[in-house]
Amino acid sequence: MASTIHSLSGIAPVPTSSEFIDVVLNSTMRKTPTVIHKNFKISRIRNFYMRKVKFTQDTFDEKIGRILTEFPILDNLHPFLSSLLNVLYDKNHYKLALGQISTARHLISQVAKDYVRLLKFGDSLYRCKQLKKAALGRMATIMRRQKDPLAYLEQVRQHISRLPSIDPNTRTLIICGYPNVGKSSFVNKVTRADVDVQPYAFTTKSLFVGHMDYKYLRWQVVDTPGVLDHPLEEMNTIEMQSITALAHLRAAVLYFMDLSEQCGYTIEAQCKLFHSIKPLFANKPVVLVINKIDIVRLEDISPENRAFVDTILEDKTVTVVQASTYSEDGVMDVRNKSCELLLAHRVEQKLRGHRIESVANKIHVAMPQKRDDVERTPFIPDAVKTRVKYDPEDPNRRKLEKEKEQEIGLNPWLGIYTQDLRRDWQLADDSWKYDIQPEIVNGKNVADFIDPDIAEKLEALEREEEQLEAQGFYASEEEEMLDSEEEEFLDAASQIRKKKAVLKKMSQDKNTLQNRPLIPRKKRHVTLSEFTHGMREHGHDPAVLEKRASRLVEAKKAAWEAAEAERGSDGGASDGGMDVDGDEAMEEEEEAPKGRRALRAAARSGKGALPAGITTSEQLDKAHTLRMFAQREPNRLAKASESDRHVPITRPKWMLAGKRKAGKTQRR
Amino acid sequence: MAVRCQFENSTDIGVFSKLTNSYCLTALASSTNFYSAFEAELADVIPIVHTTIAGTRIVGRLTAGNRHGLLVPSTTTDQELQHLRNSLPPSVAIQRVEERLSALGNVIACNDYVALVHPDIDRETEEIIADTLKVEVFRQTIASNVLVGSYCALSNQGGLVHPKTTRSELDELSSLLQVPLVAGTVNRGSEVIGAGMVVNDWCAFTGLDTTATEVSVIEATFRLQGQTSAAVINEMRDSLIDHYA
Repeated sequence: MASTIHSLSGIAPVPTSSEFIDVVLNSTMRKTPTVIHKNFKISRIRNFYMRKVKFTQDTFDEKIGRILTEFPILDNLHPFLSSLLNVLYDKNHYKLALGQISTARHLISQVAKDYVRLLKFGDSLYRCKQLKKAALGRMATIMRRQKDPLAYLEQVRQHISRLPSIDPNTRTLIICGYPNVGKSSFVNKVTRADVDVQPYAFTTKSLFVGHMDYKYLRWQVVDTPGVLDHPLEEMNTIEMQSITALAHLRAAVLYFMDLSEQCGYTIEAQCKLFHSIKPLFANKPVVLVINKIDIVRLEDISPENRAFVDTILEDKTVTVVQASTYSEDGVMDVRNKSCELLLAHRVEQKLRGHRIESVANKIHVAMPQKRDDVERTPFIPDAVKTRVKYDPEDPNRRKLEKEKEQEIGLNPWLGIYTQDLRRDWQLADDSWKYDIQPEIVNGKNVADFIDPDIAEKLEALEREEEQLEAQGFYASEEEEMLDSEEEEFLDAASQIRKKKAVLKKMSQDKNTLQNRPLIPRKKRHVTLSEFTHGMREHGHDPAVLEKRASRLVEAKKAAWEAAEAERGSDGGASDGGMDVDGDEAMEEEEEAPKGRRALRAAARSGKGALPAGITTSEQLDKAHTLRMFAQREPNRLAKASESDRHVPITRPKWMLAGKRKAGKTQRR
Repeated sequence: MAVRCQFENSTDIGVFSKLTNSYCLTALASSTNFYSAFEAELADVIPIVHTTIAGTRIVGRLTAGNRHGLLVPSTTTDQELQHLRNSLPPSVAIQRVEERLSALGNVIACNDYVALVHPDIDRETEEIIADTLKVEVFRQTIASNVLVGSYCALSNQGGLVHPKTTRSELDELSSLLQVPLVAGTVNRGSEVIGAGMVVNDWCAFTGLDTTATEVSVIEATFRLQGQTSAAVINEMRDSLIDHYA
């Protein structure tokens, strides 16, 4: 149940009927599929259009439903709100408007139902489309007829959102009376509400609310439009608002009277009005406020008028207070009196109820019972009593950290403000405040580990050391004999090391032999017998070589013997000359066989002789066959030579490009 | 004198500050507004210390203290302890407490003479409290809440406790504490009194949401404006009934 007007202010705007239709049809367009083709299966076409119809109906339903739920049901509201809305918007009209909208919703759903049924029998795209069009058209027509209710509801919504937020349950003062008696002026005086005050009747045309504080509580002051004294049926909307407030708010009623009759109504009329609306004051504290006492006081009026006023005062529950909103005489008096009355009234009512038990403990001050003789006095430093209260206006005030921060904030070139935590440290010497402290870890810092007489201790230690050294404490005992066990161990270790080294060498040698280049044949030493044996095997005659070799040996031998003999006679001569001679002789010897061999080769070639290095005709045949085999592959590939690396085109474009029918891909 | 203030948009100022008769702790915040609210009232009277406890800003909930001493939880770092020691006068003893219920502010409520503590607190801690704060220690609950520090605010002149404390319980607690007690709320109906306000013998700070009625109850209870706590029954009775009922 909504208890305040405030809770009504959240109603969404109501669109006009044409806007309504536009919005709904647009969303149908946007949110349903749009592509359909006559060739589609008929069930698909039907579904397409049925979906559109249903979607449109759903959207209408949802939007209307929202309006219906957002607008309050008058019977569920607080009686004050309900009758205020009745007065302002006419309950019947309001209900009718909502009813019509609701009916429209129902009609739209019926239309949708009918056309969906018809669409099930649609036999072509065209017919389905026409059915959909008709359905949407009918829905739009129904909605278009709701133009007036929608417009009315929008007006109501706007008006509701501007109503003052009157809480019907809180402490309230209601101010009522004839027009122009000074009701609004009073409200302006006691609250901060700025109600329009003009010197003509019905300046205030609706309820206004102001708030004020009294006795730690929040009070709401309701200013009502003036009421004229005529039967309830003849009252207009403006007056009826006052009557509604008076009838339904549980509040203090302040009935304002103007004894000066400047308002244009006689005292008699004013008193009559009081009596005629008196039934509304039942069970409420009533204050009769005599306003404008700067002109006429209650004591000054004529006896006849006094008699009229006394008819009101006969009722002892009515309190009379005099005030002048012009001179502000007694305004606060009026306020205080009426607040007191209302508070007393409310408290009395609450005390009667059962809820008072829940607050019983809050209005109880538990006073201590003395349990011992200890004096427990409060501790208030003397500085508190002498301290000047901080005043932000005072130019000599203490500058707060906040102000310092703001100053720096305003001047960016002053840097960034940081709170100086060390400023207020209370140390024995103020100059220590900003000293750098060593890091504290586990409750200790480096200072805790410094021994004040560490230097002396170190010196003492050094002295002792020197003394020991001088005594020869460290001299001996360096060459200690190793015991047998240790010796054995070391021996085994060295053996292992050696063995390991050997294994490593072997392994390395295996590799090195493979990798090392072999000695060239030219340089290798070959014995004469090896050489000649090989030659004979290949069918050459080594006789010449053998002869030369024996000659060389003999020459060398003779030279050696000569040298021996000489050494025996004079004991020294150069070997160089002998060597040189021997070399020359060797070269001469080599020339001769070369010439001969060439001659022999020429002689052989004359009678179909063999080429160089080939001794027999079988060898020649074999060489020939091998050459033929070797040339077979290069010939096949038409290589010019061994160095010919040409790769011919494997996929010629002329053959592979272009359109060819099947079976013509062969190379031409 | 009761002052309304807030800590970085939070009205639970008792969480972020600790006020006693000889010092005041405030949490380190991004701006100094909160600190200055205290500074305006207390500067030159007692030291106001900007600090963190265990790196957090909930200094009011983690620490307990009175005029004689300050208890900090075991999680307090050495640097913070050094800062507090340097900032507070030598007459205030600072003690780090190895207690499983480390939010000491929640489990200890004390004035300069008496302390109420959580029923499950260590016996050793109880002794430390008695020695450091020089108080009598009572294991108590407030309106069947074990967190006595959260649900009450005490000074040497009065005390405000959880709004649901019954009258008999109020009388019993009052006799223990030897101060007048009132059940009430802060921060527009909040029942966590300890979190919503801090108080000492001459001034109080409450959350910004505290209503006029609540402030007036606080001022009367703690005798901040020279009135007696009987004002709660006499002058404010009607307002309170209308406000609460």
